[in-house]
Amino acid sequence: MQKNPAQFLKRFEIRKSLPFWLILPTVIVILIIQVYPAFYTMWLSLQERKGASWEYVGFENFERLTKANLFPESIGHTVIFLVGYVALTLTLGFIIAQLLKRNVPLTGLYVTILFIPWIIADIIAGLVFRLLVTPDYGLFSGIFAERGISVLTDSRSPSIIGNFPFPPSPAMIFLILAATWRALPFITLLILASLQTIPHEVIESARIDGANGWQLTSHITIPLILPTMVVALFNLILGGMNGVGMVFSLTGGGPGTATYVLSYFLYVLGWGQLRFGRAAALAMMIAIVNWFLIFLVLRATQLHKKGR
Amino acid sequence: MSGPRSYYLSRRAWETRFVNLALIFVCLFAVFPIVTTITISFKEQADITRKPPIFFPCDTPDKTFEWSACRWAVEGYQRVFAPKPDENALLGWALTGNLVKTYIPNTMMYASSSALGVTLLASLSGFAFSRYRFRGHNALMTAIYAVTGIPLITNMLALYQMSIILRKNLPFFDDRLFLIFVYFGFYLPISVWITKGFFDAIPRELEESALIEGCSPLGAMFRITMPLAMPGLISIFLLTFVNVWNEFIVAYLLVTKNDFKPAMFGLYDFLSQNIINLQVLAAACLIIAAPIIILFLFTRKTFFRAMVEGAVKG
Repeated sequence: MQKNPAQFLKRFEIRKSLPFWLILPTVIVILIIQVYPAFYTMWLSLQERKGASWEYVGFENFERLTKANLFPESIGHTVIFLVGYVALTLTLGFIIAQLLKRNVPLTGLYVTILFIPWIIADIIAGLVFRLLVTPDYGLFSGIFAERGISVLTDSRSPSIIGNFPFPPSPAMIFLILAATWRALPFITLLILASLQTIPHEVIESARIDGANGWQLTSHITIPLILPTMVVALFNLILGGMNGVGMVFSLTGGGPGTATYVLSYFLYVLGWGQLRFGRAAALAMMIAIVNWFLIFLVLRATQLHKKGR
Repeated sequence: MSGPRSYYLSRRAWETRFVNLALIFVCLFAVFPIVTTITISFKEQADITRKPPIFFPCDTPDKTFEWSACRWAVEGYQRVFAPKPDENALLGWALTGNLVKTYIPNTMMYASSSALGVTLLASLSGFAFSRYRFRGHNALMTAIYAVTGIPLITNMLALYQMSIILRKNLPFFDDRLFLIFVYFGFYLPISVWITKGFFDAIPRELEESALIEGCSPLGAMFRITMPLAMPGLISIFLLTFVNVWNEFIVAYLLVTKNDFKPAMFGLYDFLSQNIINLQVLAAACLIIAAPIIILFLFTRKTFFRAMVEGAVKG
């Protein structure tokens, strides 16, 4: 149908290079804002500020960082935060999703209300929770004070396992609660979406075979939604490890250093103490853990796809 | 067989009642911190600094709760809005509080321009990834996914240094432009994945028939595929808008001028200035969160679409 072969060829050429031009802007932006900075941080982790310029110091930043007392302590805080936050969010998310799945008449309204926390900024969520326990004037401060607790100013009791910061301070527990409050809607929706993909027949036939509620949950439901639970788990770990806004507005890392999680420690190293080299060394370590987790997610989801 | 059936029905009815009750309980938990913030925001200073603190400022010397004795005040909002009489302004009052005069408009600008840019770029590349097979297709997709694994604060170290160097050496450097560009970079990777998913769901036949009819590939994309993908693209826009609106640390580290601060940055300043004026803090929180909550209530279906798509992809 083409009358002019040259024109046809030209059109074909454009068509072949079209995807390249469509993707180019995205790739450029990602290269400048994400890839280049990652390499820059890698370079920065081997430098130290000397006057107005940087000097190569090898792995000294890493050495000094690991010798700092705050480093193992921040790791401890991060582990405690993540364990508490992930366990609480996944358990509650699963229970609430099970309730929502019953599809009682007002479910739509419930879902909408339940989702409001998710839409609120982490810094506002932190502040809102802070208003509840502000020393002396917070709404709950009176109730806690009667029991001798002041959430934002009590330091933690002495560790019972070596240097590991356990039991956590009241502020850390409160931080976990606030973070759970905000993350819960998202995880609930994720689990609910996955629960709804379980064919009704599977549940029904298991019930006919005499499975009780607990057996249904542990032998049918949980194995079927396991891939989603894994995705939710990694989402929570990554979000919890990298989120810093709530620490800023709720506790400011305090009391003392009781809520220094790794990302807040990084902020303090960099912008508080202006030790950007050491902060970069810490950033590299966090990034490696992150990539490892992402790699695991990719493997898990790919395996899952192949399995189907 | 009415016996077992009615037993089954009543069991179901009880179950429904229990589920309803449990969900109402959960909902109360979800909104409780917000409700307390609202009540705090309407208290007067004397009630804020009372010991022990009270939930409602409605007590009298002899009763703990008396509806007519409530001392609600708008002091908190007044201090945030800081209204001053002004003949030229609408309604005769000008709002002079930094938060409403500068910070929220800034946030609005950052959020809408970032969301627009991200949606545009993500739709172009998402389309290409969905419709064309080329060399390095999968590798590039995986690379874009891997990029989301770089922690934000890691990149901030470099971007902060970058902003210092650029500010010194580029005469036309603008905090605002740089910030928006950084937001592009942060929210593009996941958006590309989500939009690709949306395009994958649109049948190619329509587009192919347009190509056979003599439509150019670009024409087919803009006239046929993009309109069909519009609901998905709108959800990307909303998701990015909300993310940028709620974002704090990037702006906190990159913005140096007071006039360019977004609302979250302003709110953080408020926190250090109003240690005991809890009503002011509460009012500021509500004023900043309200537009987003309202937006969410009106567009929640669109939100859920992008959320689920994004979560399944990553």
